[in-house]
Amino acid sequence: MGLMSKVLRVIALAIFLIWLIIPIAWTFSLSFKPYLEWRVAYFWPKNPTLLNYKILFFYEREIAGTTGGTALTKPMTTPLINTLIVVGISTIIAVLIGFFTAYGASRYRSPGPFGLYFTLLTRMVPPATFVTPVLVYYRMIGLLDSHIGLILLYAAATVTYSIWIIKGFIDHIPREWEEAALLEGLSPINVITKVTLPLVKSALVVSGLFVFLMNYSEFLFALVLTTKYDVRTLPVHLSTYVGGSGALYGAQAACGIIASLIPLVIGYVIQKHLITGLTFGMVRA
Amino acid sequence: MTEIALRVENLRKTFGNTIAVDDISFEIKRGEFFSLLGPSGCGKTTTLRCIAGLEKPDKGRIIIGGEDVTELPPQKRNVGLVFQEYAVFPHMTVYENIAFGLMIKKLPKDEIRRKVIEIAELLELNPYLNIKGAKLSLALMQRVAIARSIVVEPEILLLDEPLTLVDAKMKESMRRELRRYQKELGVTILHVTHDQLEAMMVSDKVAVMCQGKILQIGTPFNVYDNPSNIFVAKFIGSPTMNFIEGRLECQDSELLMVSDDVRIRLSDFPLEKLRDYVSREIILGVRPEDIEISTQPAIGSITGKITLIETVGNKLEITVELNSLTLKILSPLRADLKIGQPIHLKMKPGKVHIFDKITEKNILSEEVW
Repeated sequence: MGLMSKVLRVIALAIFLIWLIIPIAWTFSLSFKPYLEWRVAYFWPKNPTLLNYKILFFYEREIAGTTGGTALTKPMTTPLINTLIVVGISTIIAVLIGFFTAYGASRYRSPGPFGLYFTLLTRMVPPATFVTPVLVYYRMIGLLDSHIGLILLYAAATVTYSIWIIKGFIDHIPREWEEAALLEGLSPINVITKVTLPLVKSALVVSGLFVFLMNYSEFLFALVLTTKYDVRTLPVHLSTYVGGSGALYGAQAACGIIASLIPLVIGYVIQKHLITGLTFGMVRA
Repeated sequence: MTEIALRVENLRKTFGNTIAVDDISFEIKRGEFFSLLGPSGCGKTTTLRCIAGLEKPDKGRIIIGGEDVTELPPQKRNVGLVFQEYAVFPHMTVYENIAFGLMIKKLPKDEIRRKVIEIAELLELNPYLNIKGAKLSLALMQRVAIARSIVVEPEILLLDEPLTLVDAKMKESMRRELRRYQKELGVTILHVTHDQLEAMMVSDKVAVMCQGKILQIGTPFNVYDNPSNIFVAKFIGSPTMNFIEGRLECQDSELLMVSDDVRIRLSDFPLEKLRDYVSREIILGVRPEDIEISTQPAIGSITGKITLIETVGNKLEITVELNSLTLKILSPLRADLKIGQPIHLKMKPGKVHIFDKITEKNILSEEVW
């Protein structure tokens, strides 16, 4: 029985893993295939090439003619940096505001009928509804084609998630711990920084990663609110890899691979917190 | 320095429409172990939190060590608080936990070290100094919490139901330890509990609370032996006091309590004191151990029937029925009693309490406190 269930579990996990890995592996192999192999059914490239990666970092002139027509592409470096700036800052804002809101909501009663559930309202309407109003509004206050415009929008749209994730953790911290620290002589602000914050570190990291990933792949608003290459983000940029005869699958695949490296690295760095955080583990040191 | 460590004057605290603490006053002498005893919801924890500064009282004054602290934030009151769940910081070691308050006060490192080691030795915590708070047993957590609270030398240490989480056996030894630490360290303690046995065992003085009011303050013996009203009488002691309702009557200058079930002679009571109550409804209270039983009738004894005999350690807990009345009696072990047997009861002189049925106050006790 024990062995049987173990075997079954391994098999189930293996299937799940394959299901996860196949698309990534396919993208990976596609990124090394030359133009003629983009639409083939086999996995290993017959004539592996780095051209797809080259397309990502050079202007169109140098690769013209090798991808089934002239590819009018621009390098992905600027969009990559834009994305990191926009997503990084908006994530930090969302997590910080999320922490303080969650703390307040967990420790104090909200005034009037406006409970914390109201923060969920922004998530109850399809984002497409907001596109036009935001576009008009942004044009009026001059936030179109700017980093700050995207940062504010992203932070506002995802702060809900960080509030709710972090609140779950703060609710688990007995009030007595904070009161004890207060009686030991800490000021209320220091109670938060010296007692509460260290205990919810993992929650901040986890909600940060969650928010980061959501914003990192946001397409709709980035597409509508930016028109210039200088402020374009990666998901939008990815869609511009189009040549004379259609999408440049190879370049898109390569771009996707490079883009996935960043969350991978982040995930690796914060591994320790992920385990406590994702299990919503009891706050234990 | 004043002899009074804590004085609470006319403290009142409401939450919405509920009155948690209703105009209470008391004081604690330096070095005293003082217990606030009462059922849950009686306002004892709220009182403690007001003293600690975690709740803001609606009215009243709190004076700690001669200084009015009513308006001061908790960190400026010089009180230590041990919570019900101890609140030992899980992400810090025992050493860091104990040193926490001292580090906040920015004491020099070696002085912190000296003080922590000193207190750790006293509470036998040395072997655990490097263990994280999350890994401690409850008994150790209690000691760490106490160490952390007293290392900063507070004027008064507040204990909020410190023993509710531990099992009965552990409780007993922890009570003894608590008492020992208190005497050795000479700290003043305000202890909040709903466990009357615990309060009676550890305290120098007990205040019994009910519905936001203090009903009686006294030594454990005093509160037990001379309860000021029915609630205190009922709350303290196990098995609880027996109560018999009836009317006080006077026949041939002898006092009698008459009810449907029984007539009890109250020969040893001073008539003057009770004269006002003659032919009024009273409640007579007598503790189970203050009823003597005999198989032979005697002058002034009343007769009932044994319905249950339970052995509790070296005592017998006997249930006796007198018509519709049920009495509990504690007697030394004896083998000659049987269920169904008639039995003759006599109340020990001087051990009978008489309460006014309407006010529920003890008629005979002078309100000395």
